[in-house]
Order: sequence, then structure tokens, then C-alpha cells
Amino acid sequence: MPPSLATLEKGYRFAPVEFDLSHEWVRSYVNAVADQAISGVGAYAPPMSLAALAIRALLEQSPLPPGSIHVGQELSFLRPAAIGERLYARAEVLSRTGRQGWVMMGVRLAVMDAAEIVVMDGRATITFPVDAMVAA
Amino acid sequence: MSAQSSVSYAVGQNVAFLTRQITQDTINRYAEASGDHNPLHVDPEFAATTQFRGPIAHGMLVLAYVSEGLTGEFGEAWLKSGRLKARFRGAAKPGDTITISGRVTHVDGANTKCDILARNQLDEVLISAAAEVRR
Repeated sequence: MPPSLATLEKGYRFAPVEFDLSHEWVRSYVNAVADQAISGVGAYAPPMSLAALAIRALLEQSPLPPGSIHVGQELSFLRPAAIGERLYARAEVLSRTGRQGWVMMGVRLAVMDAAEIVVMDGRATITFPVDAMVAA
Repeated sequence: MSAQSSVSYAVGQNVAFLTRQITQDTINRYAEASGDHNPLHVDPEFAATTQFRGPIAHGMLVLAYVSEGLTGEFGEAWLKSGRLKARFRGAAKPGDTITISGRVTHVDGANTKCDILARNQLDEVLISAAAEVRR
């Protein structure tokens, strides 16, 4: 069973993951978020879908503890990603602090193409109750 | 929405407006696409025991609406140079109507900065964000 995100310490590096921006998955994402703008730009995936798919791949390594709350997100999009493209994600726990029974964690997430050029860079801040660590 | 990189912007100009409805089905579809099946989003019984007293939408779902508004406004420039710093300040719930609105705060050559808000039908701010794009 993969370790819960609740157990990860500052400095933890996730194993790099690769994923495909498949037509099928992008279509399901666009339907889920009802994106009406991306079709006017070209055969690109919505930029937020890169973050969503990279996070999905990472959560398969380390699931979120129950009751987690996403409190902040920074994202930089550096080039459009084409539908059908294969990408890679790397992530690292940048910070971890505790306060009043809650853990606050910052996770850096970078998505690269096959040439290792960064396509998207970002940082997520999540919080979860300390007792989620016990459950994990 | 314009999606025209040649459009000029002025400080104070309104940008990136759109509205979306949130339903539990919307949340469930996002959970499937994102793989985030946190019970806070998809398990009403669990969610009822939390501070939110019921399911809430993924923050990244509402943030996707923000990005959609910016894609509609700035087109491909948003995909290749967009920067977004967002704070999740409230939760969207099934039945909510989400309005995304933005205002240009700074224009310097090709760089345009905007403040973006996502609000519900009660005018509560769910996300406040700063966006920057190079056109």
C-alpha cells in the first residue's frame, strides 16, 4: 500500500512519473470542467489539466489523507502542451509545519516534456488534521 | 471574451468573466478525471461530519474555471506564459453558481497583471488570485 501524503517529511522527493495527455483523458477533463475556451486556442490541453494529471499520477504514489484541504496554488505555464503529448512530473515536499492540530504542507510540482524542458511549474499548499497521520 | 493577443488592456478593465454551476455530478466527474476521490468531495456521509457539513468541490475545479476565463481572455498567451497565484478562501458546494471576474491591475509593455476572484451566488469569495500574462 503506498504511503499516505500525511507521512511525508520535508525534503521528500516523489519518484518521477510519466503520463500521456491522451485524447480520451483530455476529453474527459474538458467535459468535467466544462471548458468552452480551450477549443478556440488550438489542439492544446487546458493548462490546468497538466496540473490535474500530474497530481493524479503523484497521488497514486501517496494518497491524500481524508479531510485534506487545498489552501493555495501557484502555477506557471511555460508553453502549451499538445493533446497526445507524453510528459513527466517531479514533485518534492518543500515545507511541512504544524499548528493547532493541523499540518500545513507545501509541495512543488514540475511538469516536463521529453526534452526535459519545463512545461509547467507550481506549488500546492495543503492542510490536513494531525490525526490523519494516525489513520495513515 | 476576446482571446485576441492584439487587444490592448487598460488598468481597471474588467476581464475573464464567466459563470458556472456546481453540482454533485460536476464534482464526481472532476474526481474521476483528476483521480482525487477525497471523501470530502465525493462522500456526502463523510463530508457531513466535517466543518463544511457536506461535500465541497475540489479547489482545482474552481481554479480550472479561473484558468478558462483567462484562456478565453488571453488565448494562447495564457498557455505559454500564464502565471497564477491563488488562495482558496472558501468552498464551492453543490448548488452553487460560481462567477469568475477579473480586473487589470498593471500593464507594462507586453506584461498584463490581473486580480481574479471566484465568487458564489452569495458574493462570498471562494478564490482570490493574482494572474500575470505576457502577450
